[in-house]
Amino acid sequence: MKTIVVGVGNPILQDDGVGIYVAKQLKKHVQDPDIVIEEAFTGGMNLLDLILGYDKAIIIDAVKSEKKQKNEVRRFTLNDFSTGIHSCNPHDISLVEAIHLAKKLGETRIPQEIVVIGILIDRISQVFGEKLSEKTASLVPKAVDMVVDEIRKGG
Amino acid sequence: MKTVVIDPITRLEGHGKISIFLNNQGNVENAYLQIPELRGFERFCQGRRAEDMPQITSRICGVCPVAHHFASTKALDDAFNVDPPSAAKKLRELMYCGYIIYDHILHFYYLGGPDFVVGPDAPPDKRNILGVIEKAGIEIGKDVIRHRAYGQRITAILGGKATHPVCGLPGGVSKTLNREEVKEIEKMIKSCVEFAKFSLKLFDDVVLKNKDYVDLILSDPYTLKTYNMGLVDENNKVNFYDGKIRVTDPEGKEYIKFDVKDYYKNIAEHVEEWSYIKFPYLKSIGWKGFKDGKDSGIYRVGPLGRLNAAEGMATPLADKEYKRMYETLGGRPVNSTLAFHWARLIELLYVSERAMELIKDPEITSQHVRNPVGEPDEGFGVVEASRGTLIHHYKLTKDGLIEKANLIVATTNNAGAINMSVKNAAKGLIKNGKINDGLLNMVEMAFRAYDPCFACATHTLPGGMPMEINIYDHEKKLYKTLKQNM
Repeated sequence: MKTIVVGVGNPILQDDGVGIYVAKQLKKHVQDPDIVIEEAFTGGMNLLDLILGYDKAIIIDAVKSEKKQKNEVRRFTLNDFSTGIHSCNPHDISLVEAIHLAKKLGETRIPQEIVVIGILIDRISQVFGEKLSEKTASLVPKAVDMVVDEIRKGG
Repeated sequence: MKTVVIDPITRLEGHGKISIFLNNQGNVENAYLQIPELRGFERFCQGRRAEDMPQITSRICGVCPVAHHFASTKALDDAFNVDPPSAAKKLRELMYCGYIIYDHILHFYYLGGPDFVVGPDAPPDKRNILGVIEKAGIEIGKDVIRHRAYGQRITAILGGKATHPVCGLPGGVSKTLNREEVKEIEKMIKSCVEFAKFSLKLFDDVVLKNKDYVDLILSDPYTLKTYNMGLVDENNKVNFYDGKIRVTDPEGKEYIKFDVKDYYKNIAEHVEEWSYIKFPYLKSIGWKGFKDGKDSGIYRVGPLGRLNAAEGMATPLADKEYKRMYETLGGRPVNSTLAFHWARLIELLYVSERAMELIKDPEITSQHVRNPVGEPDEGFGVVEASRGTLIHHYKLTKDGLIEKANLIVATTNNAGAINMSVKNAAKGLIKNGKINDGLLNMVEMAFRAYDPCFACATHTLPGGMPMEINIYDHEKKLYKTLKQNM
């Protein structure tokens, strides 16, 4: 089974870039020709382009919850996102919408399974910076473990 | 099953938050669009190696990485006192055309177009790309996807990497084109020219043949008589990659034309306490508040701003379309905000034609794509991002590190005008305390025409932008809140 793991985020926007950090760590842990690990600074249509043709896609990203939640790592499927996931800007559509659109147009290369490993963060920075907060950095190992489990599950 | 309620995963917090203040008759006194602004960029850059700037700045915002990449690369050419070989300039411009192709297609078909193609009165869950496909047909949907992907592919071939390019270097580019790549690009561009023509025809059939739409385009709430700004070539034709910054007045006459290095002599920024974003204006005229007209220094950029600030397009088919737009809408300048959509399609045709000229140029496969750099000092770079004029300005230390960095981004240039357009749209729909049902929709159409890329997320399933309008009475007490897609 061909699997793609995509760490998503902006590497110069502090905690928002946590997905990129996790992907970088994973590259050290996972050496399997059927597993591709990518870093992406993008969402929506471009993210869809990236995952087309794989059987399974694991997306790692920062997640901000409306309710106050403790920082943790959680597994989601796309159905968990009521409004859509990830258009990083007002000039794109979300991944959920992009997939919906692709299906409608007869795209056959959409992965069978798409999983999101979400790292819940307090706030999304509006100040530039390359460092993760201590809290978020402490969640990276957990996220790495969960992705590795997810890969194993796929056989 | 457990339902998890989650805010859309956002890159950046915030959304188009609008505050409308009514007077004691219940009519609109003021309206403000609050745009969250990223902070600390200058400090973030200080002490970094200058040649990293094209990569760093293309991460500022996911919307126009290519525009930042080349504004930055051009500022570095200037800062390192080097003029790139002409083949390098052509490769950069060709890649730039690819970027405008995918960006403009995305905006027209996914974001702005649904208002027209599906209709301004359609419910928000239909006013999106899926609604467009329902109306226009699956085949057109496939064409949209295909040509947007062509634009992406062209930038990926030339830029060395999809979405975030890595090719720009002071004095040139790092990647040349081989014959197979030329063939592939030429084939895609040929198709893009046809698709651009088709898109203009679609605009004709769907929008211009519908009197209601034309009336809406020309209506007062969507009219703003400001100055216009854009890059032009030596013949005053629109240029995205290089040239002088030209400003025309609200009657269409040239007001000023300047080199980017003189931007701070001509543009100043006004600060409002309620917004992080600064409002640029023409220095020689001054800040006169949120007013249009000849006496106010507010100007517009972006597709309509560019077409108004120029005297035509440099390619034959686009130039014909340029003339047709002005003939149809009553001459240059056109001050109708919704005409931004039309202007965007004319530009789509221009960049497709221009890309064809460039790919056929024998020099495009040249191996001489970089010149050696000189001593570092100060540099300015300007390009036309798809949503308007973008300026990068760096001061370097003698070791080639960033000492100071200042950027004027496209949406900031339009900030004053967007605010006024929102107010005008609100004015038409709030009368004596009565709020018309179409308010959210019409306000959204007003600012979406500019294709703003403020630091906010839109999780557009289904339909438009997440938006919140708070309306306050004359005692500044909250009177009503309207929400959409939140």
